[in-house]
Amino acid sequence: MDVGLLMLAGGFVAGLFGSLLGLGGGILIVPLLTIGFGLPVREAVGVSLVSVVMTSGASAAVFLQRDVANLRLGMFLELFTAAGAVIGGAVAFAIDQRYLAAMFAILMLYVAWTMIQGARRPAAAASPPTEIEPASHDAEASLGDDEPGTAGPSVDEPLGGTAATPAAMTAVTPPAMTAGSPVPPAEPTFVARLSRPGYRVGRVRLGSFISIFAGIISALLGVGGGIVKVPIMHLIMGVPLRVATATSNLMIGITASTSAIVYLLRGGIDPYVAGPTAVGVFLGATLGSRTAHRVDLRVLRLLFVAVLLYTAYEMTRLAIGLP
Amino acid sequence: MSSSPAGRATGARPPGVVDHGLEGRIARLLSVGTVISVVLLAVGGASLLIGGVQPLQSAPAFDAGQMVQDLLALHPIGLVWLGLVVVLATPAARVAAGLVGYAGRGETGMALVAALVLAVIGVGVITGLLGA
Repeated sequence: MDVGLLMLAGGFVAGLFGSLLGLGGGILIVPLLTIGFGLPVREAVGVSLVSVVMTSGASAAVFLQRDVANLRLGMFLELFTAAGAVIGGAVAFAIDQRYLAAMFAILMLYVAWTMIQGARRPAAAASPPTEIEPASHDAEASLGDDEPGTAGPSVDEPLGGTAATPAAMTAVTPPAMTAGSPVPPAEPTFVARLSRPGYRVGRVRLGSFISIFAGIISALLGVGGGIVKVPIMHLIMGVPLRVATATSNLMIGITASTSAIVYLLRGGIDPYVAGPTAVGVFLGATLGSRTAHRVDLRVLRLLFVAVLLYTAYEMTRLAIGLP
Repeated sequence: MSSSPAGRATGARPPGVVDHGLEGRIARLLSVGTVISVVLLAVGGASLLIGGVQPLQSAPAFDAGQMVQDLLALHPIGLVWLGLVVVLATPAARVAAGLVGYAGRGETGMALVAALVLAVIGVGVITGLLGA
């Protein structure tokens, strides 16, 4: 069979799988191209980054239209993830590719472990279906959730310990908004403007600093970097999970494209491979986002964990140079 | 960028108030960029396959000048390269649109953030060119 069609089909399956499970296609593209087609890890990462940018663009548009993604917060944190992406892109060409394979194996083991943990959580099984169709093209967004894109409570629902309480909302309400306030109107601070009704963004400095590592991981492994971004926003900065997932998806475009530009200009992206693979991932992710609510994910998840463990084993072999 | 009362009237948006106009424009930009890139990659890639080019053959490295020549000559590889460029340029275009939108409303802070993001992308371009 034609290799190009095989890559298109492989990309399609990776995109579909990733979309159904709320994972990014990137986590499957790199092993597909290295183990399946014998591409060097670095070239596979470059192609994966292109696929990740393409699929996130489509879903981020929907998240913005539905007013789920926080554009201001996303743009602010992009500054740091993009900086990390430049660093990671430069490092990727400076280190032995076997280290990249080893890091990827660790990532896959982590994702497999997280999926098993998520499946054990009884509350997750009762999660309502999401309102958001596009899959989160991020390897983290729904790792702990049972349904793809089921990113926890809605924006309006308080999230235990992280969402804004009435008192917290009062804290971000500028004096000009307070009825009967005797003080003159004042400009809200930059950080206050990152907040939205229903939640308050906090610990911005810490979140910004850790975002740099999300960019580095994205650039080194060809994933969206959401495995770091979503926990940063949700657990550290107090953003509801659903918003964090959508905002992370929005940020993937800049994070992954910044490092992909480095790969492109350094000859790390093969156009013959990138074309069919990226189109396949896009089509698969699109189909997955439209059919996720009809699919029983329990068996699929178990299968996916098995695939992750097998590919982690193969990437480890690649890393230590076993034939 | 204005600090005038008029500028403040548009720029002093309370926290939590979303500019649906800007977000809507950016969403359309992302959608259009994605569709264009998918079409270019699909048409270029299919033409290459029909022409007998196999993905695991030795591929050329990116060269902007060569891409323009390939496009003028209607060579499929030019379409694939252009598709890749559109994919990677769409997020930057989204930030540029954000820069214009925020600057137009006098939101200096967000406009500065958008400008800095574009500057970091520029550093990425330089990093790639230096290592090419």
